[in-house]
Amino acid sequence: MASAVSAPTRKVAGVKRERWQRSAGSRWRIVFGVILGFALISVVLAHVWLRLQVVRMGYVLSTTSKLQTRLEQENRELKFELATLNSPERLDALARQRLGLVTPERGQVVVLP
Amino acid sequence: MRRTQQRHHRRLVGAKVLFLGLFLAVGGRAFQLQILQGDKLMRLGQRQHLKEWIVLPKRGALFDRAGEPLALSMESQSVYVRPHRIQDADKVSQNLAQILGLRAVDVQQKIASEKPFVWIKRQLSSPEAEKIQALNLEGIGMFYEPNRLYPQGQLAGQVIGFVGRDSEGLEGIELKYNDYIRGETGSSVSERDALGRRVLVQGIEGLQIPPGSDVHLTLDTSIQHIAEKELEASIVKNRAKAGVAIVVDPHTGEVLALANYPSFDPNHYAQQSAAQKRNRAVTDSFEPGSTFKTILAATALEEEVVGKEDMFYCEMGQYHFAGKIIHDTHPSGWLSFAKILQVSSNIGFTKIAEKVKKERYFKYIEKFGFGKVTGIDVPGEVPGLLRRADRWSAIDLATHAFGQGISTTPMQLVMAYAAIANGGILMRPFVTRRIVSPSGEVLLENQPHVVRRVVSEKTAKLLASMLRDVTTEGGTGTMANVEGFDVAGKTGTAQKADTAHGGYSKKRVGSFVGFVPANDPRLVALVLIDEPEAQVYGGVVAAPVFRNIAQAALNRLSVAPDKAATIPAVTKQADLPARQMVKRSAQAAVNVGADAVPDFTGLSLREALEKAQAMKVKVRLQGNGYVVRQTPAAGGHWNDEEVLVLNLQG
Repeated sequence: MASAVSAPTRKVAGVKRERWQRSAGSRWRIVFGVILGFALISVVLAHVWLRLQVVRMGYVLSTTSKLQTRLEQENRELKFELATLNSPERLDALARQRLGLVTPERGQVVVLP
Repeated sequence: MRRTQQRHHRRLVGAKVLFLGLFLAVGGRAFQLQILQGDKLMRLGQRQHLKEWIVLPKRGALFDRAGEPLALSMESQSVYVRPHRIQDADKVSQNLAQILGLRAVDVQQKIASEKPFVWIKRQLSSPEAEKIQALNLEGIGMFYEPNRLYPQGQLAGQVIGFVGRDSEGLEGIELKYNDYIRGETGSSVSERDALGRRVLVQGIEGLQIPPGSDVHLTLDTSIQHIAEKELEASIVKNRAKAGVAIVVDPHTGEVLALANYPSFDPNHYAQQSAAQKRNRAVTDSFEPGSTFKTILAATALEEEVVGKEDMFYCEMGQYHFAGKIIHDTHPSGWLSFAKILQVSSNIGFTKIAEKVKKERYFKYIEKFGFGKVTGIDVPGEVPGLLRRADRWSAIDLATHAFGQGISTTPMQLVMAYAAIANGGILMRPFVTRRIVSPSGEVLLENQPHVVRRVVSEKTAKLLASMLRDVTTEGGTGTMANVEGFDVAGKTGTAQKADTAHGGYSKKRVGSFVGFVPANDPRLVALVLIDEPEAQVYGGVVAAPVFRNIAQAALNRLSVAPDKAATIPAVTKQADLPARQMVKRSAQAAVNVGADAVPDFTGLSLREALEKAQAMKVKVRLQGNGYVVRQTPAAGGHWNDEEVLVLNLQG
């Protein structure tokens, strides 16, 4: 009796173990697949994010480059204005007309030794 | 059960076939797009999102010897129209004409053009550009273009030259060193978005095009300004046609000032005539007249044909030579060689030329650099006209003696005088000191260049002493005298050739060439006044200009007078006590005795220097303000060679 019970029981247990082993392998494959999927999606997302960052930085660089160009132009304009204001002709006229200065007489110019 | 399984199987196969078909279709399409049409489609795509941006060249700047900018580059906006995109031509042309100061009809004509692109106005001012942008009109666009500006206006305009709209140098230094100054044109391909905005995803390396190199000139803006101002004043006063003034350092050949009249403003080059643009100092040659007598004098002295005190009979103003009569303005009898130079006797120099002989004279004319370009680094230089001695007729010996029958440029003449001033060495003149790249590397540097020795130092010194007499009482150039300095020079009043009828016309060229201080020259200057009407003599029209330029230039170069100062007239009562105090103090110190150290304590810097100059005491200054201490102390033993150290404070 005992042997009649134990034989099918062993058979069932063996099938169950076999199924469990099969389903465990399948689960690992699914988990692996999911992880791989996530990894791929992450890579794709990272690529997209990086691409967006590059475009965003491109805009920032473009804006900064424009600002640099504008400031350089402004700097050149100021240099030009300074040079114009310092021109001997203008200074001569201002010194004579506004300040009433005259060309120094002989002896008024002292050359330092 | 079995039938169900078969149905499922068929469905599964059908789905597989369907998806396989779909994948094949997608794959086929992908193959078509990527492989078969890939290049074409890529080009189409790039045309949409990539754009080539042209980076215009930025010209380097031009500076004077002190670093004052003479030419700068900027970017200005130009406005254009795409006619087929304009909706309301009348309204657009009205708006543009009003802002740009143009006639509405002219703008309308441009808008009505069949061309796809038409410039409305180039290089707008900033307010104009801002107003146009604010209108935001369809079909109207702006474009940045390089713009060359000259902040000093007409100052040294002919030397600097100018550049065209395409940023290419067309005259002067701008042309001569165009390859250095121009800079490179660059281009950069970058992405643009749907709105046409630039997106610099590839970085900005492509946009970083270095500008052109900077040019540093030998010109001094202060001396240049004085030269131009004084030249213009004389030309206006004497109703002359044109003029040139040159100031050169005789020891190096550096050109400190080069002024031309009529003046030329490179900011408005298109509106100015060719006569204004010409740098007459190198492009025009003229008969030098009496200023050329110095060359014969140098020949005679160097070859020891004539001594300074040798006497010549000047025929009382009329001398028959080679079938012609040679005249003197002021008849003279017996004159020494030195006196002949001082009064500029044509007859005297004809007789000296007879002794020198034409072959020897010609050799020295060539040695002084006449008949060949000086090699100055500005474009358009001419060599003048010098006929070989074997082609001279009998009368040519006489005419060459007093500067007729030969033509020279003002630059040649001033460099010949520079050779006498520096002890007999002909130098090559130059206006560019160095060219520096944006990274600071010196690409070109002009050093003083000796062409050759022309005469010995002894001859040069002797001739300089004779030329000094020209500006003293009895000479023709007394108006060139600079107070406090000895001036050596020569006047010239040359007749101009009559090109229409032959011979000479009544038109004159008045000139003065000289150097100062005569014993240790710091500068050589030439002033030439072309066709003066009110006064014609070089001693009257050119010599005063020389004096004023030389006076200002010597002040600028901090050259101390070599003659004792005369105290200027007191103009304010308040100044009187101080001046009298200095005079009294100086007198008292002189009276103390040559051995006693004078007392300088309590004097201001100016008073101390005036006192030192009056007493011929060498001083060294430390500090500024009033003298608080002196070494050696007042009253001690004084040695003439000793230097008095003055400590100033306050």
